[in-house]
Amino acid sequence: MQAQGEPRVNRRRRDWRGWKFMWPFAAVFLFVTVIPIFYAIYISFFQNRMIGGTVFVGFANYVRLFKDPLFWSAVGRVALFTVVQVPIMLFLAALMALALDSMKLYGTKFFRISSFMPYAVPAVVSTMIWAFMYSAKYGLVGSLNDWFGTHLNVLSPSVLLAAIGNINTWEFTGYNMLIFYSSLSTIPHSLYEAAAIDGASEWQIVRRIKLPELKGSLAITVIFSIIGSFQLFNEPSIMQNMVPGNAISSSYTPNMYAYTLSFSGGQTNYAAALAIVMAIITMAIAYLVQLKSMKEQMN
Amino acid sequence: MRARKFTPVLASLAALATVMSLTACGSGSSSSSGAQGDADNAEITFWGWDSGGSMSKLIAAFEKANPGITVKFSSTGNAENTQTALANAVAAGKGAPDVVMLEDATVMQFAVTGDLVDLKQYGAADEADKFVSGPWNMLQYNGDPYGMPIDSGPEVLFYNKAVFDKAGVNADDIKTWDDYYEAAKKIRATGSYITNNSGSSMDYQPFTAQAAQAGAKPWTVDGDNITIDMNDEGMQKYTAFWQKLIDEDLVDTSIANWSDDWNRALNDGTIASLTIGAWMPVNLMSGAPDQSGNWRVMQLPQWTEGEDYTAEDGGSSLAISSQSTNQAAAYKFIEYMTLGDGAVTMSETGTFPALKSILNSDSFVDPDSDANKTTNEYFGGQNVNKILAEAAQRPVNTFQYLPYNSFAQTEYGDDISPAYTGKETLADAFKTYGEKLAEHGTQEGYTVTNKD
Repeated sequence: MQAQGEPRVNRRRRDWRGWKFMWPFAAVFLFVTVIPIFYAIYISFFQNRMIGGTVFVGFANYVRLFKDPLFWSAVGRVALFTVVQVPIMLFLAALMALALDSMKLYGTKFFRISSFMPYAVPAVVSTMIWAFMYSAKYGLVGSLNDWFGTHLNVLSPSVLLAAIGNINTWEFTGYNMLIFYSSLSTIPHSLYEAAAIDGASEWQIVRRIKLPELKGSLAITVIFSIIGSFQLFNEPSIMQNMVPGNAISSSYTPNMYAYTLSFSGGQTNYAAALAIVMAIITMAIAYLVQLKSMKEQMN
Repeated sequence: MRARKFTPVLASLAALATVMSLTACGSGSSSSSGAQGDADNAEITFWGWDSGGSMSKLIAAFEKANPGITVKFSSTGNAENTQTALANAVAAGKGAPDVVMLEDATVMQFAVTGDLVDLKQYGAADEADKFVSGPWNMLQYNGDPYGMPIDSGPEVLFYNKAVFDKAGVNADDIKTWDDYYEAAKKIRATGSYITNNSGSSMDYQPFTAQAAQAGAKPWTVDGDNITIDMNDEGMQKYTAFWQKLIDEDLVDTSIANWSDDWNRALNDGTIASLTIGAWMPVNLMSGAPDQSGNWRVMQLPQWTEGEDYTAEDGGSSLAISSQSTNQAAAYKFIEYMTLGDGAVTMSETGTFPALKSILNSDSFVDPDSDANKTTNEYFGGQNVNKILAEAAQRPVNTFQYLPYNSFAQTEYGDDISPAYTGKETLADAFKTYGEKLAEHGTQEGYTVTNKD
């Protein structure tokens, strides 16, 4: 029967036609992402010493990494950061998306754009301006201190991570809100009409119709946010010299540590081992989260 | 024969690409593949930072005097970025510039790995007497020059006379660091600080300068052997003194040099003085314009009454990368910038010279020259360059930098700042610092002795 032959031919043609569009991206991806990863794995088995040149050392870099207190405290720090900042940010984003979608808000378009704008501001600019505002002597916090007679210092080591989390949340809530909002927009309005006929209250509509719909996009945003938070680099790195008391060390986050090792310490091989281990940790956590959310979705 | 066959194709493509890249990347070891080239006809690349804003003028004048040579200047922002860019080019095996501007302390780092050209073959060693000894000595490795000094940074004491007067301090009485301590107490009583120090990596250079002035040798390098001694007599003097200042809250430990807060504190008088390099005036004038007319300069306090030592705080130089195939032409350019007219032009645009001939010249200390007028006005009419020139000619204890200086600088911030926030004593912080430096040295293949 001809029907049996046709799908075969179609599928093969579709394959290669797709690749005609994909190959530029694939080529760049291969050379800029895939090959450097393999190269990083390769060099992580060597050491490049000032005296002695490049030497093969097997797993020595990894052994040193597992014993390195600076690395593990940095991992702990970003893990803590992730566990606190991601839920707060996603909760706010979901709240904002629900508010926008409720159609009871005045100026929906304005809020949609203005909440997304922080994402459009370059991270360097955002961080610098926030750091200036945070300055307890010459910034906004300083002015507040003068007016109210308080002695707030949001850059002191005990609250510094929260201050950075604040900047991060400000930057990315709009982005996540947009993802939630677009998934809420796909709910057919007939569902709302049916609910209204059944006499459902606003809260019941949110709970029974909107929230379940959000679960799908929640899985995506959670994974992106976890990966992003584990890679925290921009904000602490820019704020390093602006924070009194030198509270941000050069190994504050794993990415910063890798950066310092490479460019100040000249130990790129060790930094490569660090990056590989960090990638494995991040992938493991992201995978676990995805497993959990997939199980939930299947129920 | 459909999508299923695709996966092995993809996998073999990836494997092929990886093998290709490994062979290509793997060959990027350090190279001395440079050449002298034609000294009269070349196009040379030059990486550096342009703090005086005079680079295009300087290059134009050079090209006019040397019609066969063109200079392509790429501003690499600041010292740290320049050195990172050079390290990347060296690791890649290509792309390094012919001439590169480097901070004096990092020259040894690149000289040790063979990435800079020994300038002795171009006659640089004969120019030793033309420069002041401080910066010149920092550029020697194994007895040969690897860079030529553009500027020098003898440390002096800049102070805000208005704040000093308010506190009842007569700056002329500050001859020793003990006098400085007494002045610090008086100034603190008025609410300002005599200076700031947060133990950050930006305070590393002043540390090396002041420890050197005290005769400290926290590390010595002898070929493949490094000795770390954070507890020698000079270090003990330095540590005890600063511990006193920290304990009695006499210095502002929350502000790091070169931060925005630092500029503002200088501008509103809450930081009353700086012990810093002679290149500071132009930065002070732009960062603290409200204090115009209030600042003065004088020689550094001494550890022992009657001595007249200073120390080198920073300073940059020009070097030739060993990848360069136009080394002879590159050296011509360096000669122009450090020994010839280029040096004179730079000294007129805010660079503090390292050439004795400029420092001793009448025009340099002439208070009526245009460049000097603006500076002297900021300093209340003082003849600033006269005092700075005096400082440059003072004796300097020789101080070596570690071959991994950038690591030492970053690590300083991490290890020493806890002492400035009161979490531990300065002596303990330096002990940890010494251990970290020793560890790094061993990892880099040196034989390290830590005399702790």
